[in-house]
Amino acid sequence: MWSRRSVIISLSATALAGTLTSHGARVLAGEKSVKIGINLPFTGADAHDAELIKDGAMLAIDEANSAGGIAGYKIDVLLLDDGTATAGQYDPAQAATNARKMVGDDAVVAAIGPQMSGSGKAMSPILSQGGLATITPSSTNPDITNPRFAAQYRPAGKAIYFRTVTTDAFQGPNMANYFADTLKVRSVYVLDDSGAYGVGLADAFQAQAKRRGLDVLGRDQLNPKETDYTTTLTKIKALNPQALYFGGVAQAGVKVVKESFDIIPNVLKGGGDGVYAAEILRGAGFPAAQGWYVTIAAPNVLENPDAAPMMERFAKKYGQQPDNYSITAYDAALVILDAIRRLAAAGGPVTRDAVRDAIQQSHVKTLQGEISFDANGDIANRVISVFQITRNDKYPLDDVLHQYKYIGVAPASS
Amino acid sequence: MTEYEVLLQQTINGLSLGAMYALLALGFTLVYGILELINFAHFNVFMVASFIGMWALQLFGVSGQTRILTGAALAGVLAFAFVVTMAAAGVIGVAIERLSLRPLRGVRGTAAMITTIGVNYILFNAILLTVGAGSENYPNPLPVVRWQFGHVIVELKEVLIWVVAVVLMVALHLFVNHTRLGKAMRATAQDGEAARMMGVDVDRIIVIAFFLGSALAGAAALIFGLYYNYTSFIVGYTVGLRAFTAAVLGGIGSITGAMVGGLLIGLIETLGGQLIAVRWTDVIIFSILVLVLVVVPSGLFGRSNPQKS
Repeated sequence: MWSRRSVIISLSATALAGTLTSHGARVLAGEKSVKIGINLPFTGADAHDAELIKDGAMLAIDEANSAGGIAGYKIDVLLLDDGTATAGQYDPAQAATNARKMVGDDAVVAAIGPQMSGSGKAMSPILSQGGLATITPSSTNPDITNPRFAAQYRPAGKAIYFRTVTTDAFQGPNMANYFADTLKVRSVYVLDDSGAYGVGLADAFQAQAKRRGLDVLGRDQLNPKETDYTTTLTKIKALNPQALYFGGVAQAGVKVVKESFDIIPNVLKGGGDGVYAAEILRGAGFPAAQGWYVTIAAPNVLENPDAAPMMERFAKKYGQQPDNYSITAYDAALVILDAIRRLAAAGGPVTRDAVRDAIQQSHVKTLQGEISFDANGDIANRVISVFQITRNDKYPLDDVLHQYKYIGVAPASS
Repeated sequence: MTEYEVLLQQTINGLSLGAMYALLALGFTLVYGILELINFAHFNVFMVASFIGMWALQLFGVSGQTRILTGAALAGVLAFAFVVTMAAAGVIGVAIERLSLRPLRGVRGTAAMITTIGVNYILFNAILLTVGAGSENYPNPLPVVRWQFGHVIVELKEVLIWVVAVVLMVALHLFVNHTRLGKAMRATAQDGEAARMMGVDVDRIIVIAFFLGSALAGAAALIFGLYYNYTSFIVGYTVGLRAFTAAVLGGIGSITGAMVGGLLIGLIETLGGQLIAVRWTDVIIFSILVLVLVVVPSGLFGRSNPQKS
């Protein structure tokens, strides 16, 4: 109820505010405006976490606007929802439609999103044809930016899929290293949720686990809409692995967390940033979620004193704590705003093409440090952070900030 | 775990799943038996009922797995939750019949069936828009009690499922076969026109069929929630489809067929998943369904009725 209604309200509010300000502004001072598209799954299992990402991006944009805009430009937002009721989570088909909407709106000069790699795969070719750059704060599947698949994901040539997180080419393998080096795991069973992100992450983890000499006892694929995973988990129990690794997002994740607690309580469990979510805490809850090792594809900024003022403003404005992907979304917005600022300062036109090129050349100081991108759009900084879900009764039990305890950086492969 | 223990454990898992499918399949079969109508709204009657059961449990301050009850308190809370959920689901079923299907009673063709699909979406979106899209941490007051036989584990919640399923199915069997109303139901199922001529109030029988079928879905929904500690607005689809398949496998219209079909589908799902691979579950289930229907077109226990006019 909450997420969808608030989407509709904020959508109409931004649309209204957009027309009013750009209209009024033009009449009053001849000011110009540009639009940033935001595409996230506000319907379905990841709605709450999509909201946290949107809030991060909106905080940066709203603050820029209330400071008088960026070099004379008001920033409007085109907010789109790629979650559908039929999918119950992100829906690549809807993501493609939304990408066309953004490309079709001439005022849109850059975009933020998507949250999910499955959507990213659907959107990237369309954005490429439209010459529209997007910055994802959370989607980590490496294929989208991999030059090997350039013909598929950026047929028009230039990189348009930028990230303020690194990819599963590091998230999976580094966690396998962490399993081997720090947790001293010798055998593991690998599951994925059949989504683009989940499969890719599980593959990357599994390959490195094998390389590190871990005994991979098996690999299975879960249907995220299915409720019953007891068959799979009983199968895993019979194989008696030391650890379980799950590549996937919350829709399957909630049930994996719950049912694995029931059937294989003593097996060490880990996952990627799909399990770093308020939805996991809310849907699976404690005690089931306790003890899971979870990575994110970004540095942990939440404990960085530089981030404290932003987190305070965030909490004050939205009534809840940000998570790390609120911060990467905030950073993504900063990168786009910075690109617009540089273009306007140089006196050039703020067009899609120009914004893309400006983003490509970014050296922006953000909360996670200076952000710059390689020729494919991937972030230069490749830190994978490890957390452990550790119940903290002093805070709400679905508060990502306080229930995921930061442990450290996962070792990179040498 | 030895191979034998694993198969035994999967059989236990399969029986729990199968009991849920069977209860849900009975709803399809009861309505089909009387109206020759496949009621697709049944999918989401189940889903809505799982939320009603959740709210009923929350009335007692049970949220998540934080409040564990025992003894009389547990029995009382569970009995209340079952009664409320089953009654509410039954009322939803009756409302669906009265509001959307009775006006179409005389219409030939697939209009009524398509209507049930529409109602299915209405229920689906009603929950999506009011409750939201998240996963619910289903309240569960059951203490964690496990009996261990070697490596094979039987849990209290599984025993609860079996007991509830058996009690309800026996009750349904007695009702249909040993009461006047049951006799009227059977008569209507065999030939509605003749039953009407013999003084059976067919509309009332239809209402009862919807009420009973939906109430059983309510029971299935509550044990589903207690078993998985989970519900969401999407749960109706996969569970409902399996249950529907179970009803067809057993012979839609046949009460025994729905029970046996449900258990079979549950066992095929877990044992097939163990012996072949879980990702092939649907392929396995539907291959067996096709094979059975090729050999026995009316399903395992289906009657080949003379065509009703």
